[in-house]
Amino acid sequence: MSVERTSPFSTALVTAGAWGLAILWILPLAYAIWTAFHPAIYAARLDLLAPWTLENFSRAWNAAPFARYFLNTFMLVSLILVCQFVICTMAAYAFVCFPFRGSNLLFMAVLLQLMIMPEVLLVENYRTLSRLGLLDTILGMGLPYLASAFGIFLFRQTFKSVPKELEEAARLEGAGPIQVLLRVFIPVAKPTYIAYGLVTVSYHWNNFLWPLIVTNSVETRPITVGLQVFSTVEQGVDWSLVTAATILSVAPLLLAFLLFQRQFVQSFLRAGIR
Amino acid sequence: MKSATRRTVLAAAAAFAAAITAGAAQAKTQVMFYYPIQVGGPLTQVIDGYVAKFKAANPDIEVQPVYSGNYIDTTTKSLTAAKSGKPPTVAVLLATDIFTLIDEDVVQPIDDFAKTPEDKAWIAGFMPAFLKSAQVDGHLWAAPFQRSTAVLYYNKKAFAEAGLDPHKPPTTWDDMVKAGKAVLKKDDAGKTTRWGVGIPGNVGSAQWLFGALAAQNGARLMNDAGTEAYLTDPKVVEALQFWVDLSKVHGIHPPGIQEWGTTPADFLEQRIAMVWTTTGNLTNIGKNATFDFGLAPYPGKVSPASVLGGGNLYIFSGAPQAEKEAGFKFIKFLTSDETLADWAIQTGYVAPRDGAWEQPSLKAYVAKTPAAEVAKKQIAVSVPEFSTHENNRTTKALNDALAAALTGAKTPAQALADGQAEIDRILKPYKK
Repeated sequence: MSVERTSPFSTALVTAGAWGLAILWILPLAYAIWTAFHPAIYAARLDLLAPWTLENFSRAWNAAPFARYFLNTFMLVSLILVCQFVICTMAAYAFVCFPFRGSNLLFMAVLLQLMIMPEVLLVENYRTLSRLGLLDTILGMGLPYLASAFGIFLFRQTFKSVPKELEEAARLEGAGPIQVLLRVFIPVAKPTYIAYGLVTVSYHWNNFLWPLIVTNSVETRPITVGLQVFSTVEQGVDWSLVTAATILSVAPLLLAFLLFQRQFVQSFLRAGIR
Repeated sequence: MKSATRRTVLAAAAAFAAAITAGAAQAKTQVMFYYPIQVGGPLTQVIDGYVAKFKAANPDIEVQPVYSGNYIDTTTKSLTAAKSGKPPTVAVLLATDIFTLIDEDVVQPIDDFAKTPEDKAWIAGFMPAFLKSAQVDGHLWAAPFQRSTAVLYYNKKAFAEAGLDPHKPPTTWDDMVKAGKAVLKKDDAGKTTRWGVGIPGNVGSAQWLFGALAAQNGARLMNDAGTEAYLTDPKVVEALQFWVDLSKVHGIHPPGIQEWGTTPADFLEQRIAMVWTTTGNLTNIGKNATFDFGLAPYPGKVSPASVLGGGNLYIFSGAPQAEKEAGFKFIKFLTSDETLADWAIQTGYVAPRDGAWEQPSLKAYVAKTPAAEVAKKQIAVSVPEFSTHENNRTTKALNDALAAALTGAKTPAQALADGQAEIDRILKPYKK
């Protein structure tokens, strides 16, 4: 679209740079895949003729109740995702369409929350959960994250960009506030939802410290905490086992991303999250 | 009529059974037990097995074992729980965390619970070197459980190739340097393919192994009260100079910082002929080594010495009294000679009681793997790991100093002087 023609040299430079960064980024993953599919002695040696094996995966799978951990992570992430969508949407909608005295101040308070690292609240959150009797439950693990300041902020910005005319047209047609939200705002904000959903899912899929602290049993622990059993630091690290377990645990996310790559990239571009 | 009676009887029986089980559940004392896992293998199952055995012998106590990651995670989890008023009853935490736990006021001394002569005899059964790391202000704050010590692993095949006697590991620093030079191997391009010796110096292991080096030179890094460090002691500086010189002057140690995590692999792939690491590695290395290797006590300059590491069992003061009493019972079970002997076989940890080594199971194991006994023989000349008040911060200062010297950013004397100044500043409030 640009009228200026870039020189072939600078194009080549950009392409080379992009490739360089991409290769750098994929290296750890490539190493993980290489190590996971080969016997342990090839962990630090690149030999193209090395025999392939699935043994590391079966060892990893049998070393921990992965199926249960997957289920727990899945339940935790879905709980958080659904609640965040509902709560953040409602809050953002209220901030955009129903301003009241002090609503700006309230929004500032929400933004302020972005500055607080969740780790600071560990002890206080733990105490609250213990009073509620929710320690060692999936609900308890998700509770502090059910509302998200970032989500409210993001949805509010997106809703603000929806043309007033659209909203008014819907009202003229006789749509109530809920219908306006469902028929006008949410469809327009779909790319934002997808992008935000991806950020949230990957964050909570990988979250470690909080789940570790509030859970005690196999029935509630998510996969990241289960994975910890493989980092047996005193003995040095059994890389083939660790990489096999890591690949197992990120595989669902990775597959989903690869399958829906185009949609994700597009919604990131449209939603403006980078 | 008949069937109605039968139903009533059945219902009554069911209600009765429910009442009994409910009553039984209430009468049980709960013991929440947090433990980390630091070595490989299906150890959660081993712990579950101990718990089941304990429950069978003590039906009135319900122990809930909670595997809680590594030591750092377990400490975070325990402190968080304790600070919010719901501490675990018993936890396995690092021996070096003792001052932190006392300063945070979350643990209760073991001797509060050990009242009978039998209990006193149980305490006396631990090896003094291990008890030392749990004694502060005249109290015993923890019971030694999963303890390890650092030893020298050496490649017997490499020793034989170099014309050294594979049955004579080095016993002095000079010997180690000589052996290191002999086993050194370079390719045609002058690149070293086999190093002489590797001492892990990354953050987390540097302060541990440096404790051994300092002790070998007749120095100590801190006082027993944990209020002072002695990094500027000329003997300590000399120990660090030796470590740095292994690479810089003698060229037998890989340059820079050797990583703890890759050290076993370096040894197994014969890239390093002698490595300093934990006894906890014996099972792993024994299983994977394709060559003949040996275990040896550490060499010495003034005298041979090593450091102790690992975790102790602590009782949390915030738990209800009945739970703590039950927890104490559980601790006594875990540190009984039989359990410790089995734990040593399953993990490679060093059993901290002489009685455990007398158990037939451990005796049979030692007969099969004589290397396991090297660690035991070394315990008498081993010192506790660096541990002071504000342990996280002082350990970091020490680690930073060691890293600066090992990477060549500072001279050993300068690095240790800077580290000492930092530690003095941190420990100022604790000096009386």
